[in-house]
Amino acid sequence: MESFSFKYPAGKKVAQRAHVGVVGSGDLEILLEPGNNNQTEFIVRTAADGFQEIWKAVFERFIALNDIDAVVTLNDFGATPGVVSLRLAQVLELANKIK
Amino acid sequence: MMNTSFIELKGRERALALLDENSFNELLGPFDQLESPHLAPQGIVPESDDGLVIARGTFNGQEMIVLSIEGAFQGGGVGEVCGSKIAGSLERVLADNKNGKKIIPVIIFDTGGVRLQEANYGLLIISEIQSAIVALRDYVPVIGLIPGNVGSFGGMSITAALCSDLIMTNTARFGLNGPEVIEQEAGIQEFNSRDRKLIWDTIGGKARFETGLVDQLVEDDITAFRAAIQTAIDKKPTTPRTHQVERFLSAINQLDPKVKHTRTEVIGYLNNPVNEVPVIEDAKTPGRGRTWFAALTANAVSVSDFPGVLVADIPFNGKLTRFIAVVSNASNRYPRAVHGEVGLQEGWVLAKYIRQAIEEDATNAVKRNIVAIIDVPSQAYGYNEEMLGIHYACAASTDAYATARLRGHAVTGLIVGNAISGAFLAHGLQSSRLIALNDQEINVQAMSKQSAARITKRTIAELEEATKKVPAMAYDIVNFYSLGAVDVLIDGINADAPDADAVKKVNDELAKAITAGDFTLGQRLKTEPAITKGRISSILVRTKLAEQWN
Repeated sequence: MESFSFKYPAGKKVAQRAHVGVVGSGDLEILLEPGNNNQTEFIVRTAADGFQEIWKAVFERFIALNDIDAVVTLNDFGATPGVVSLRLAQVLELANKIK
Repeated sequence: MMNTSFIELKGRERALALLDENSFNELLGPFDQLESPHLAPQGIVPESDDGLVIARGTFNGQEMIVLSIEGAFQGGGVGEVCGSKIAGSLERVLADNKNGKKIIPVIIFDTGGVRLQEANYGLLIISEIQSAIVALRDYVPVIGLIPGNVGSFGGMSITAALCSDLIMTNTARFGLNGPEVIEQEAGIQEFNSRDRKLIWDTIGGKARFETGLVDQLVEDDITAFRAAIQTAIDKKPTTPRTHQVERFLSAINQLDPKVKHTRTEVIGYLNNPVNEVPVIEDAKTPGRGRTWFAALTANAVSVSDFPGVLVADIPFNGKLTRFIAVVSNASNRYPRAVHGEVGLQEGWVLAKYIRQAIEEDATNAVKRNIVAIIDVPSQAYGYNEEMLGIHYACAASTDAYATARLRGHAVTGLIVGNAISGAFLAHGLQSSRLIALNDQEINVQAMSKQSAARITKRTIAELEEATKKVPAMAYDIVNFYSLGAVDVLIDGINADAPDADAVKKVNDELAKAITAGDFTLGQRLKTEPAITKGRISSILVRTKLAEQWN
């Protein structure tokens, strides 16, 4: 297991916290909570060691498209970059959903 | 109309799908971050809800709680947090029902049983879940669902067997020992874990329904599951399977253990009771269970009609006390139970003699004490065992011990030898007090090292390394004591050949445990080792749950 985090400057508020996914084979869970630090912070724990660069690329792509002040916790059990991107999009959609 | 699959849903979605629209309210959810503290030290990524969803809501207007195990996370294995979420919720539901507030519990089983990475926590907490279910059944139906993907195995199948109504699909499996574990323990000639037809014909949903070990077989469809739950709620109470001692013992006596019986044969045995009992030789095989039974009862003659389970009533500390031991008998009819394992017959015979004590004392103000002398190497691993539902045999004795406590019998466990897995759940873990000899040969565990290594895909060396970080994974009695469930470790005893002093020492501790006047399993969370280290998460889960409960 590996743990690391990345931070990116951000400004836009999100409506609410949101949760998607499970820590199951080829999947991950993501918890998104509104932040107060004008940044997007990604906190990762992953079962697959040695892929930090790929995580960074996935997050940078996400950040390029989305400006959110939030703490995003990712518990990963071997999800592919495609699955991670999909789950990030899902969790953001839920976080901005108007009830 | 197209079916909407229930099986394909994750644990949280399953709970959502069952409850009335907009009634779902999750307790101890992902943002409470009550994850397992035992996984990360072993290099395993935890989940924010530890794989268990507690959902309060309504079902056709009736208050309900759904406890949904996430099978995709660690195979639905029950660890300390996950298990305590189930046990703590059921304890709350029990209290509410006792106070006249009707809440119906539904448990979704998608679980391999004990989470081997938290081994002994799994065993302890599963026994606490079981205790709550037995108590709850007096008030409301406890409904179990086995939808499939993982199915239900291990200690959680013993738990499922205690439910008032079990609902299953044909794509789920329901057994005590998984096929790989049986093959590992008993050999490929006993059970070939790659023979899919064999597996489904033995433990598949259709097989279980035909054998009468589950109540309803449903299609994989949300509407069908909801309808089945309503049927379970409306059903008139029937005699639980775990109370049908004579019926199952009759089948066990008819079965020839040397032959692998077909499902049709087993159904025939279950439905055609006979009174003939085969002769079982008593080899009086030496062992600690037998030694301590003799020592503590002053060589009393066992009143049991089965030589693998010894039973005697003697006056102890001024009160009639029933001592019970499961012992090895080299002449046991069942070859998979010759070493003192809890097999089909052992489980049901235990139930028979515990229930006998409950019934005989039913109208007495003073209830006799019950003492379980524990030296059990494991449950029995075998084909016939699975076919006839060994999880029900273990559940029958579990039910009986728990019921004895509820009816006012002091139930105490004395660990003199090994206390392993399903056997310990069936014989010992329902004791409100446990005491143990401080003997380094004693093992307390959920699974043998060989099998645990195979299932968790680790080497035995890696497994032993992990035990240094997580005491619940260790095999010795001192580490087990550190979890807080044992009142006292008795030092300086020769466990194989106790002298008069040793017997007196044990009798003194036994007397203390019995007279403590406990009839619940609650003491385990109050001991010094439990509070300071052993059960911190179990206590935290219950505290947080109390804050969120209304």
